[in-house]
Amino acid sequence: MIEARGLSKRYGEVVAASDVSFTVSAGEVVGLLGPNGAGKTTVLRMLAGVLTPTSGEVRVAGHGTEGEAFQLKRALGFLTGDTALYQRLTPREVLRYFGRLHDIPEAALAPRIETLVTRFRLTEFADRQCGKLSAGQKQRANIARAFVHDPPALILDEPTTALDVVTGRFLLDAFREARAAGTAILLSTHVLGDAESLCDRVVLLHRGRVLDQGTIAEVCARAGARTLTDAFLARVGDEVAA
Amino acid sequence: MRPRIVLHIFRKDLVETLRDRRTVVMAFVVPALIYPLLFTLLGSVATDKRGELERTRARVAAWGPVPEDALRAVEQQARADIVDRRPDPPSDPEAEARKLVSSKTLHVVLLTPPGSSGPSIPVRVLSDSTSVDSDAMERRVSRALTEHGAELLRQRMTALGQQAEAATPLDVHEDDLADAARRGASLAAALLPYLLLVLVATSGFYAALDLTAGEKERGTLQTLLTAPVRSVEIVAGKYLAVLALTLAATMCNLGSIALTLSRATAAMGAGARFSLGLSSAGAIFLTVLPAALLIVALLMAVGVLARSYREGQSYLMPILLLVILAGFASFLPGAELTPGTALVPLLNVTLLVHDILVGKAGATQVTVVWAVSLAWAVLGILLAARVFQTEQVLLSGEKPWRDVFSPGVRAGRELTPGNALAFAAVLLVLTFYGSALVERRGGVVALILVSQLGFFLVPSLVWCRLFRVPLRDTLQLRLPTRRGWAATVLLAGGGWSVGAVVWAQLLRFPGARAYSDWLGELLGKQGQLGLWTALLLVALLPAVAEEVTFRGVVLAGLRRSGSRWIAVLGSALVFGLFHINPYHVLAATAVGLLLGWVALETGSILPGMLIHLVNNGLQVLLDRVPGLAEQLRSPVPLVLALATTAVGLLLVRGSRRPAPDEPPGPAPVSLASP
Repeated sequence: MIEARGLSKRYGEVVAASDVSFTVSAGEVVGLLGPNGAGKTTVLRMLAGVLTPTSGEVRVAGHGTEGEAFQLKRALGFLTGDTALYQRLTPREVLRYFGRLHDIPEAALAPRIETLVTRFRLTEFADRQCGKLSAGQKQRANIARAFVHDPPALILDEPTTALDVVTGRFLLDAFREARAAGTAILLSTHVLGDAESLCDRVVLLHRGRVLDQGTIAEVCARAGARTLTDAFLARVGDEVAA
Repeated sequence: MRPRIVLHIFRKDLVETLRDRRTVVMAFVVPALIYPLLFTLLGSVATDKRGELERTRARVAAWGPVPEDALRAVEQQARADIVDRRPDPPSDPEAEARKLVSSKTLHVVLLTPPGSSGPSIPVRVLSDSTSVDSDAMERRVSRALTEHGAELLRQRMTALGQQAEAATPLDVHEDDLADAARRGASLAAALLPYLLLVLVATSGFYAALDLTAGEKERGTLQTLLTAPVRSVEIVAGKYLAVLALTLAATMCNLGSIALTLSRATAAMGAGARFSLGLSSAGAIFLTVLPAALLIVALLMAVGVLARSYREGQSYLMPILLLVILAGFASFLPGAELTPGTALVPLLNVTLLVHDILVGKAGATQVTVVWAVSLAWAVLGILLAARVFQTEQVLLSGEKPWRDVFSPGVRAGRELTPGNALAFAAVLLVLTFYGSALVERRGGVVALILVSQLGFFLVPSLVWCRLFRVPLRDTLQLRLPTRRGWAATVLLAGGGWSVGAVVWAQLLRFPGARAYSDWLGELLGKQGQLGLWTALLLVALLPAVAEEVTFRGVVLAGLRRSGSRWIAVLGSALVFGLFHINPYHVLAATAVGLLLGWVALETGSILPGMLIHLVNNGLQVLLDRVPGLAEQLRSPVPLVLALATTAVGLLLVRGSRRPAPDEPPGPAPVSLASP
């Protein structure tokens, strides 16, 4: 469903990503793990059609970025952890706005918004301006926004950063539900606990390159570690030492 | 570009901006309050000061042998007290006077050098012009002394047995020919242009900043980029939102200033009177519109380069200063609207608004400034669009300017709408100033040859070469289908009626008849040429050169907008704008609509050339065949020609030849593309 083939991105002399390849199938959660500056956000932005790769290819639900950018974006929900919502719009207005940008007919949009408001428990604050919401409320509204066009693939960039335990758990449950419904999810996170509990496979990224990928057990085995955290430290530590 | 998506973005941005109290207060509330308050406060302070000065008795010193009768006249007529009387002046009278006036002990010092006597006694009036009090008292004292001097002269004349009137050989009275309304307009002409430009900039400042740098800082721009939306749609929606807010705020403020000025001048009594009529307000609005288009484009293009709101404020400040500088021209007495100043963006608007207010501006001046300003505005909008298409800019990358001006994306196999409009803007400036130069130095033949070849045909071919686009596809250099040819013959035979009908309607408006006569006289000059030379210069050459430019390069770029309406209307408007005079612009736009439509439907530039050729050729014949003009304007031929045109239009629809070798991209005739 989500496919990165030899993705590279250069900014002059700086290489942000180099020959990154992996896939995420329908109904699967893949974790994109790496330290700060590993190139995770660059890779996610290229997959979302926001950044143009210097080389390589992106495919989401069979659509590439060349000439099919709209189909690609329609197949994708994108969520970042910095709760980027319009401060002076209400969650309901945000959902309506993005629904319209995704060309959802007005007749279908209203019931879709109500479904999302109920599903993500926004009722209490759906008509309050986003600027007046707590971080948790904002992120619940934001995930509803990512789901507004019912995408078959989700890209999540640090979605639980700075959230309390309750909201974090709420979001992880929402992602599990989406996986159960067949959604392909690519999750970038620093919280390795979240990755262990949620991801079917992981991709370790460092200095723009893929160090390893596979199931958590496979990655741990190859690193000679018992936990994902140990495996992560072992692989990244090896790279730093090298 | 999809208008509905642009509309969604526009609506959202407008709502969000109007909910921002800071923007609303800065754009609407502060200026709406500040002018009345400022004028009321300043007016009140000035009135209070005037009253205080009227009531205050002048404190005057008299040093040296100042005549006693002169002092009495000063005491009585200037309502002064001689508070410091010294028979001998101090050693340094200026320094002493300066000290006493500065300390407000005295207002004025009268100084007569010791030993002065005889029929003419020198009296110096020492005052400080930088002190309001001293300066006002000096005028009172000097007037009293002058009047007393005149009275002394009359007494002496009488004593000499002459008539008192002989002392006044010329009885001079000053009368101002300008009435109160003109004086008021002159006052407003100094203030309004400056205020309007500054208002446009300040009204758009915070909205542009919030929707560019503000959105980047909050991370919402990235969220928007993940939706199926083109960068050009984002910039168009945001641009329209800022523009709408700017224009609304400017109009509110214009009303506020006009009312305040009206009140302020009314308080001046017969001195001046000002009221802004609807027609003047409309003309000013239309003049300021392209300036607003440019200012908003610059604010957005520069604002989006900043990574935060605070950084954006620093980036936008130079633009505000430039606008203030351009607006300052209205205060300069020597600044005039000339072909040179009409080229300078914003300055030209300042000077034109000034001329409109004092009643000096004509329709041609308005159109020239509008066209030049529009050309600048198009360049500004293109810059904004280009900046918004740079991913390094949108994602807060380092050194975003490097990507904006990198040459790598310039070359391509298709012209874009922005590219076509940039071409039109460059051509407009080139044509306007080039024509003025050629007109001065050469005759009608040189003018036609240089303008058609030098300003249209050659630049069009150079532009295509510069951007490495294939000439055949860009200019649609292909034969139409048989149906296309049949329609072309009908449209060539009757197409002239479109221009004729539009002209007939336009002639009802004031000024159109005079322009029509002038144009007829100009075209009549080709009567001196031989028939074939005239047909070559007036019919064939423009038919080829103008079609290559407007239905070739301009239409080719606009076709890539994905909307046939934008392509036809845009190319027709650009074609119309090149005719400068407002009436001619309208008539040429109507003809441009026909030619653009035909070019799109036939997929060829050749039918338009033929229609253009026949239309212009007919114009040549009208001056040479007596009675032809009257015959063509009579109802039967006109109706027949219109009917032929209608049939031709029906026939031309969909007559395009399928072109398998057409370059890839959005289908040129689709109403909307994703």
